[in-house]
Amino acid sequence: MKSNSLYIILFILTATAGCKKIDLAPTDRFSESNFWTIDDNVYNALNNNYGIAYNSNLYFYNEALSDNAYSPSGDVNAISAGIYTPSLAKFQQDWGYYYSTILSCNLFLANVDQNKTLDAATISRLKLETRFLRAFEHFNLVKWYGDVPLVDHVLTPEEAQTIQRTPKQQVLDFIVSELQAAADSLPSNNQIPQSENGRITKGAALALEARVLLYEGDKMQEVANICEQLMNNQQTNGTYSLNSSYADLFNNPAVNKNNPEDIWSLQYVPSVRTWSEFFDFAPRSVGGRVSSMAPTQELVDSYIMLNGKNIHDAGSGYDENNPYVNRDPRLTATVVYDQYKWVNADGSTKIIYIKPGSDPDASRLDEYSQTSESSSKTGYYWRKYWDPTALSGFASGLNLHMIRYAEILLDYAEAENSLGKMDATVWDKTIGALRKRAGFTDAGALDYPGNTNMTEIIRNERRVELAMEGGLRMDDIKRWKIAEDVLNGYVHGARFGDPSVDNGYIRVQKRQFDASANYLWPIPSSEIALDKNLTQNPGY
Amino acid sequence: MKRTKWVFPLALVKCCIVAALMLTTSFVVQAQNTQTITGTVTDSSGAPLQGASVVVEGTSIGTTTDANGNYTINVSEQQKSKRLVFSFTNYVTQQALIDDNSTINVSLKNNYNTLNDVVVVGYGTQRKLSLTGAVDQVTSKDIENKPVTNVLQALQGEAPNLIIQQPSLDPGSGVNLNVRGIGTTGDNTPLVVIDGIIGGNINTINPNDIASVSVLKDAGSAAIYGSRAANGVILVTTKSGKLNQKATITYDGSYGTQVPRVLVHKVSAWENAYYKNQALINSDLPPAYTPEQIEQLKDEGDGTWDVEHLLKNAPMQQHTLSISGGSEKNSYYISGGYQNQGSNLIGNGGFGKDFGYQVYNLRLNQSSIIGRLKTNVILSYTKTRNKTNTVGDNNIFADANRVPHNYNWTDSAGNFLTNDVASQYNEYGVLKQGGYGQSDNDEIFGNFNGQLSITNDLKLTGVFGGTLNAYNDFFRRQQVNYLPAGVYGDDRTVFDNNSKSQLFNTQLYAEYTKTISDNYFKILLGASNENYEQRGSQIQKTFTDPYLGTPTTGTIVDPANSYNSIAVDQSSLSSLFGRVNYSFQNKYLLEGNFRVDESSKFAKGNRTGFFPSVSAGWVISDEKFMDAVKNSIGNLKLRASYGTLGNQNVGSYQYQATYFNYPGAYGFNNTVVGGAGYVLGNPDLTWERAATLNLGIDAGLLHNSLTISFDYFNKKTTDILQSRQDVPLIFGLSTFPDFNVAAVRNQGWEALVTYTLTTGKVTQSFSANIADNKNKLLQLTGGVSKQIVNQDVFSLIREVGQPITQYYGYETNGYFQNEQDVEKSPKPAGVTVGPGDIKFKDLNNDGVIDDSDKTILGNPFPRYTFGFTYRLSWKGFDAQIFIQGVGKRDEFLRGELVEPFHYNYGATVYTHQTDFWTPDNPDARYPRLAVIGSQSNNNNWRLGSDNYKYDAAYMRLKNVNIGYTLPASLTKRWGVQKLRVAFIGQNLFTLSKLKFIDPETTEFDNRVNIYDYSNSARSYPLPVFYGGSLEITF
Repeated sequence: MKSNSLYIILFILTATAGCKKIDLAPTDRFSESNFWTIDDNVYNALNNNYGIAYNSNLYFYNEALSDNAYSPSGDVNAISAGIYTPSLAKFQQDWGYYYSTILSCNLFLANVDQNKTLDAATISRLKLETRFLRAFEHFNLVKWYGDVPLVDHVLTPEEAQTIQRTPKQQVLDFIVSELQAAADSLPSNNQIPQSENGRITKGAALALEARVLLYEGDKMQEVANICEQLMNNQQTNGTYSLNSSYADLFNNPAVNKNNPEDIWSLQYVPSVRTWSEFFDFAPRSVGGRVSSMAPTQELVDSYIMLNGKNIHDAGSGYDENNPYVNRDPRLTATVVYDQYKWVNADGSTKIIYIKPGSDPDASRLDEYSQTSESSSKTGYYWRKYWDPTALSGFASGLNLHMIRYAEILLDYAEAENSLGKMDATVWDKTIGALRKRAGFTDAGALDYPGNTNMTEIIRNERRVELAMEGGLRMDDIKRWKIAEDVLNGYVHGARFGDPSVDNGYIRVQKRQFDASANYLWPIPSSEIALDKNLTQNPGY
Repeated sequence: MKRTKWVFPLALVKCCIVAALMLTTSFVVQAQNTQTITGTVTDSSGAPLQGASVVVEGTSIGTTTDANGNYTINVSEQQKSKRLVFSFTNYVTQQALIDDNSTINVSLKNNYNTLNDVVVVGYGTQRKLSLTGAVDQVTSKDIENKPVTNVLQALQGEAPNLIIQQPSLDPGSGVNLNVRGIGTTGDNTPLVVIDGIIGGNINTINPNDIASVSVLKDAGSAAIYGSRAANGVILVTTKSGKLNQKATITYDGSYGTQVPRVLVHKVSAWENAYYKNQALINSDLPPAYTPEQIEQLKDEGDGTWDVEHLLKNAPMQQHTLSISGGSEKNSYYISGGYQNQGSNLIGNGGFGKDFGYQVYNLRLNQSSIIGRLKTNVILSYTKTRNKTNTVGDNNIFADANRVPHNYNWTDSAGNFLTNDVASQYNEYGVLKQGGYGQSDNDEIFGNFNGQLSITNDLKLTGVFGGTLNAYNDFFRRQQVNYLPAGVYGDDRTVFDNNSKSQLFNTQLYAEYTKTISDNYFKILLGASNENYEQRGSQIQKTFTDPYLGTPTTGTIVDPANSYNSIAVDQSSLSSLFGRVNYSFQNKYLLEGNFRVDESSKFAKGNRTGFFPSVSAGWVISDEKFMDAVKNSIGNLKLRASYGTLGNQNVGSYQYQATYFNYPGAYGFNNTVVGGAGYVLGNPDLTWERAATLNLGIDAGLLHNSLTISFDYFNKKTTDILQSRQDVPLIFGLSTFPDFNVAAVRNQGWEALVTYTLTTGKVTQSFSANIADNKNKLLQLTGGVSKQIVNQDVFSLIREVGQPITQYYGYETNGYFQNEQDVEKSPKPAGVTVGPGDIKFKDLNNDGVIDDSDKTILGNPFPRYTFGFTYRLSWKGFDAQIFIQGVGKRDEFLRGELVEPFHYNYGATVYTHQTDFWTPDNPDARYPRLAVIGSQSNNNNWRLGSDNYKYDAAYMRLKNVNIGYTLPASLTKRWGVQKLRVAFIGQNLFTLSKLKFIDPETTEFDNRVNIYDYSNSARSYPLPVFYGGSLEITF
């Protein structure tokens, strides 16, 4: 029967259709055995390590841990308020972030030799760049947590469950020796083609080494030596100098991407690799969404007068009722204050009205208000890192400076000063040069003031020059051991508050810092639960 | 090695089956001299029964009655000594000797006993009487006439421990489905089998096309599906035609309105200002509003900035037209359906139709008898289309709620406004003009089934079927400008996402049945393969033409969000399965099942899983010693089953370590470069196993008008596939890949009671089901006993010895009532509190509140789920009331609807929040008002506690259906056999302690994932449906 044969055919089809093979492999991925043999893959793996070395969220929001800024949201608010326990998510997240990058670097170092087609010199360079990044992650870990497990190879899960904390000094020694190895063999910035801008160079390794040694506190001669190498031996170590404009480093995309001051920066590319934190930093009238981090009055007060005097000094000329005139030009490059002349992308300007009741526009978007949840809680906004070419939602392709040449000058000034070697020559090369570049012209600001109060002057210079650049202020507070002074009590905003309280400066947040414990973060409690050999920091 | 071990015999079995088939199909028995019998089948009142089955005993010769209860059947000379068997659902089967009769009329008695119902089980059917496993069957009458677009919504509450939760009520959104609760920390999705084909899409079937849904709950019934059956199996059987049935055309439709039930109400703007002042004063800050300003706000009244102004009443309709019938050798069922559920959100995004969800169904079911061969072809096509807004419900409700009531969405000129309080977007403008997302899903389901009776006892069945799916997701965001400032969607993103998948299922099985005196045997043996393949592509562009969405100057192809269909997701599963049934005198029942599965998801050596089960039943009521009580206890059966089931629901290639390349990793010299990532594999990955014990009892009392079923189960799942939790972050992975690490025990019970009462012409039935399940984590990973994940302010915990996922944080202990109380009570370090602030329990009595005082605060999974159905019929009238609910569930909610002047975002207070602490209201629901950043706020709201806890138990009048069927005598004059009109109400009333959000909404998926984000209570409102339906049969 005809229809019968039809069904017989159907049965046969059915039977054969069942013979689907069981061994299946993904079509869009490499296996462990063939990945590293391809040169492009090696570079992709390296690029990945660069991409996860640090991120824009850590870069900006750690600033709110210090007295430079206040954030109303997230764990940085809890930490700065001093109200938290070891289970706070940020302690775990940051820890996990640094160790995940370390794993990625260790995987690279363990496997890259499988590649037999790249030449040995290239592989060696890629390894040194990776070792730099691995050292940087360890540096972040010791900075925040003190003694931490030193992880210099791919751990097994079992090793991770039993690994112990390595004494901080030992981790620091490892970091310094890794950075020295990188500095010894990596090419300098004048030896690489322009297409490699952004790669780790000899200069970057030396500069980070200087920062690590400076933070150690008792290696000032070594710091000075490294700074001198970078300042005086530029043929070998790389050509660096201060960029003529301070503001352009952060607001002018062409300069931000290409300037003589950049030693190492996180690289972004407009529209394709961007960061958008500024969406929550900008005044709302120029496109900001909410204000999730704002500068404090304490930061604003640290900018000196054009005559070189501190605002509280006698004869400074500071007028509390007209506080933003005749100030360090870096204030205007960094902070948006009441009546600020905001320069738009097209060069036009707009006044930012922050004082309550001052905005002629009925919407009063930027005005300080207790009842608004989205205007600044301090009465200040940020200007630094505003990108005139940012896309919708402030998606910006600006690079984020990790180490600028200015920092080397500040390192040098601090080292020389602590060695008792600060003099007019060192001053002119360092603080003097930075102030000159910032736009100071008054001799009172530019000339060597003699050695009175020099430590304070250098520290303050460092604060204003590097404000809002990766949370460096918090590093300084910790290594100078001044947290109990600057991170206790109220942090303030502009003078829009109750005149009877703190002279009218808004009380933004009450902060607490316990010097017996808080100089180190707690080891995440979840980690202690999984690795019985981990101990907790004192006071937690 | 193990691979070849199973695949080879499997292929061999198939080849043998095919060969046998080819040999036997040519011997088709020819018909002989025949005798024609006609007759009428009626019920006890004399009304004709349509669709009753008339079969010659011991043969497959049979027919069904037509609309007038008439039948015609031809029997051979040899069959004269046999009997005709008349049977019909819910009626007692009768038999009559054929002899020389040419007319046999019978009247069937009502039987409330459902024991003779045929229940669909894996690879076949069984009479309920002989079931030894735990199987529930829901029939079409429970599913039809509900205004839902998803069968699962219709199934909610219909079967005990078939737990269905609707996390979002937005049209077209999916539901959470669990059979008997949570048995694993991994995937808890039950296996869905549609018309015998594994893995169909239950979400898109037309509810009116469904004949029955069987839920296989225990190992005894599900083991034949071995792999993936650990979470239960849902067998859907669609409608088919019947032999010898006159063609009937049926139209079934409903139309009605969905009214959104908004439960959240802001206080008036002036009250809001008053409360803000109070919060400031409580925080030692000066008030923000003067009495004059508050007075002014009062005079100005409320504006339009609220949820209500973003909602509208929306129509919902469904229409199904079906034709079914059959001749002597062929039968068919054809249907077409259209369902349209409009969204309650206003607007259309600026283009075309309003937001909403549509389903188009087309179904064909055709059966033929060709000699000894029975064939069945089922084809269905489904199209779904869902049009949604571009910003997401979460944002819409958040932005509508966070702004005080004195603001408006638009000015008099229709401009979309923003304000200085707290709004990122004007959602009114977004809904009206911000573009839309549209997902289109085209699905073809096919099932080709041939059954060959080689002898009267031996049948061979071959099945080939599967689902082809083509999915397109289109998204276009359009720019909306606001006044005085602000803009939405100036990226003008447009994307197309396309994905195609195919799922094929091939089965061959043989079934041998033999009765030797009192001994009955049935043996089933088969082989099958399932394989799946999916690939997809996407292209995304930004800065497109503002009017057309087309590429223009400045348009960018977004490389990170555009990809080709290089990636193919494939998996394959080959299986052998078998079942033996044995019964003695229909009194002692025994069943054994096994399945061997080989899965591509595991590495060689770990691929094969063997899943056996045994079950037994004892019909006590048939024992001699029960004769005395036989009249009062119509039926009493004990059941028991034990077996092992599997679960392989992990990603396709997880057993191998891989590297992948991706774009946009970093940039050098302002030029973007790609990166490579690493995915750790686990070569040891293998089957998850669940050993299940089931004990059941079925009883029929009062002549079986009262039936009771009770089941107890105890399931232990081991080797659970989940992310390893014992490796510290120091290793370098924040989420470890799946390992076979965890173990869970899940036990519970379910009860089903049905009572039917006929008094005169009134028939009433009451059916209630209630069930509970309690899971306990036995092992998390190695020796690690807990995992805590912070979800915003509070945490979720997995702890050994406790239910799988629970809420975790501080336990509150009322409020500080006075300064003395503050002084002497333990407090969190560093926090200054006052009267009206929350007091926490110092569980370890160390005088300070810290991490070690945190404790388990609640279980988010539903317990004591229940359903209750009442049916009434009287003459032409019928009514059905359906109530469904959850007896116990904790729900943690956060965000602006919980915290007044919500942290960093909200600027409002809601009416339900006004029950806050004051000296005169010491036992308030909420602590005293305080502003963000204050010590009080830190204490009360930033330290996650049971202050965020709500009781989400509820009981809902889910469905009311009151209908009238016009007398047949009247309608027949118009050529209409049946005409019924009805009123339908859905979600009419909900009883719950949780008043400001629908208590059913949940942040969790069906595995109570510990990583699921906390619930901000910003959910689409519950639509209350009022409408009517019409059913006409020609």
